[in-house]
Amino acid sequence: MISNLRFWKSELAVLSCCLLFFLMLSCNQSKTDNSNKFNNYFRQGEQLYAKHCSNCHQVDGTGLGRLYPPLKQSDYMNKNFERVICLMRNGIQGELVVNGVQYNQAMPGVPTLTDLETAEIATYIYNAWGNEHGLIDVKEVEQISNTCGGK
Amino acid sequence: MKKILNLTALALLLLNCTSKKETEKLPILGYREVVAKEVEGQKVIDTVYHTIADFQFVNQDSVVVTNETFAGKIYIADFFFTSCRTICPIMKTQMLRVYEAIQDMPDVAILSHTIDPEYDTVALLRDFADRLGVTGNKWHFVTGEQDKIYDIAQTSYFATAMVDKTEPDGFIHSGAFLLIDKERRIRGKYDGTVEDDVNRLIKDIERLRKEYNP
Repeated sequence: MISNLRFWKSELAVLSCCLLFFLMLSCNQSKTDNSNKFNNYFRQGEQLYAKHCSNCHQVDGTGLGRLYPPLKQSDYMNKNFERVICLMRNGIQGELVVNGVQYNQAMPGVPTLTDLETAEIATYIYNAWGNEHGLIDVKEVEQISNTCGGK
Repeated sequence: MKKILNLTALALLLLNCTSKKETEKLPILGYREVVAKEVEGQKVIDTVYHTIADFQFVNQDSVVVTNETFAGKIYIADFFFTSCRTICPIMKTQMLRVYEAIQDMPDVAILSHTIDPEYDTVALLRDFADRLGVTGNKWHFVTGEQDKIYDIAQTSYFATAMVDKTEPDGFIHSGAFLLIDKERRIRGKYDGTVEDDVNRLIKDIERLRKEYNP
């Protein structure tokens, strides 16, 4: 009985070590940005961005005047991560302050975006143009999507 | 050696062609009519070109804008609406480049017509121009009666503009930029969503100005 317990204890230790290792690995992965997953997300995101977003926010993410806010160096994007995930699909209206500049042009959402596509666009805009957020996984988007509410 | 000579000859030929093209006059677009008329008792044959019809709209400063506003001026015309998310933002990005290029040209202006005058009020156009960074009276954003705007788009500028509920934004319209000379004639048509085409427009504005000041 006692030996059995000891066995379980050592097993647990090994397991938790493994867990820690994987945790570190996954943390690393999102920062090194070299995994296949990240690259696939990023590349798909780039194409979706060109299709749905770049007309207004521009290919280089700089936005246009005080009409369309920039995504390159945007304090709004950093402070409102979950809201950004939601507004891609649901759109947003009313005043918005980005880097101290007030914007007020309604953005229509793209309701047909899937969670995966949203995650791909998010991965792209949060890592292009000097942004360095790391991979934004579809599972993360799924969870946030459930809290979006609204439309 | 022969090869080099040939290449040089080709290069010279190409150079010659391009420089010739630069100095050539821009074409006059649209239909034309040859008419016989009497001048001082003599019968003369004259060519009548297609011209932009009379118009009267209101710009972002609530100022009435007519053909007179552009008398003695070259101008660039286009059709858009502020809530458009498809081609208009690209057109406005490109027109902004034109706007910057003509800053020091007192004889060149821009005329952007909204094709959604119900939504695009003077106040909204004012705000739109401000946010785009447009000041002064070089770039007119005009609104007016919808029928009049659609009519002048189609019959004067040969640009498509109409309501279509099946389109994402409810309108179909062309992304064309039109270069109009001081005689109200169309001298060039450019795709306002294509950077290279807008580069061509910027060059053509200079060429057209040279026709008036050789």
